[in-house]
Amino acid sequence: MTEPINLKDIEKKAYRFTFNDGIYDLTYATLLIMFALAPILRELIGLGYILFLVLPAPLLFLLGIRYISLPRIGLVKFNQRRKTTQKKLAILCIILVPLTVILVLLTAVQIFPGSYGTLLGVYTVPIGAAFFAIAFLSFLAYLLEFSHLYAYGLIIGLGILISELLHDPVAPPWNSVIAFGISGTLLFIYGIIELVRFIRTYPLPKEENSIVN
Amino acid sequence: MSTKKKKTMENNQPLDFIDKIIHEPARLSIMTLLYVIESADFLFLMRQTGLTFGNLSAHMSKLEDAGYIQVKKEFLGKKPHTMLRLTKKGRTAFEEYRNNMKQFFNDLPT
Repeated sequence: MTEPINLKDIEKKAYRFTFNDGIYDLTYATLLIMFALAPILRELIGLGYILFLVLPAPLLFLLGIRYISLPRIGLVKFNQRRKTTQKKLAILCIILVPLTVILVLLTAVQIFPGSYGTLLGVYTVPIGAAFFAIAFLSFLAYLLEFSHLYAYGLIIGLGILISELLHDPVAPPWNSVIAFGISGTLLFIYGIIELVRFIRTYPLPKEENSIVN
Repeated sequence: MSTKKKKTMENNQPLDFIDKIIHEPARLSIMTLLYVIESADFLFLMRQTGLTFGNLSAHMSKLEDAGYIQVKKEFLGKKPHTMLRLTKKGRTAFEEYRNNMKQFFNDLPT
């Protein structure tokens, strides 16, 4: 043994192992792709587009964890410190996620085109929403110790701004498609690669009990 | 046992303070992992320790016999599911083992 045993590192390693499956990347990519498609879906199906915006990502996450991740890596319950952090996060998400979605929608779907603030003109809401998304996801990344979330924050923050900047040169809905669709697709491809690697590295155990079903 | 004989035995076995149940590398790795988390199932421990099903099962039995871990078997649907956690005795034993080893290496002449 060449390195000293550090109990904190062992706990961190076990914790990060649960983020190893690409499902978080796929979930976030799905959310971005839905943001990209939101204006088109809105034109096609009216208010029902909100279902497509809100449902696919959490559904993919839950099904992915249940049917892909857990049967391959098993179940773990972390210590009290992590549990307390998760409770705080849950409360924070319940309050802030709907607020974030509303702010993004204001920008992406152009619901209130004439009612932006005066200080930064039409960029007030996009800048506010971008800052909010980056700050919120960075805070989550810090609490969860999951560094991908910093990148997710930047992608969505910049996406909001790019969507607004492209509003004149590229007519809606294509500004949203470009702003969120490209990053969403790239992230989706990355998530698929991670998922395939995960499935290859951790095949379903033959002799072991599985927690699913 | 006479005092003289006892002293001789102590001199012959200077590492007697080491808990041999914990000291075995595979069991040490199981104990360390369970020390830093609350509980985990059999599969998670297999993945983290790199042990095979048979190996983990054997070491788990030894730790359970020593009263260091609690094994909770249950059924989720039709499939068996085994959760493991450190007992209070196991936690204390691991902390003692850790302190003893630290002390031992600190006391070694450089």
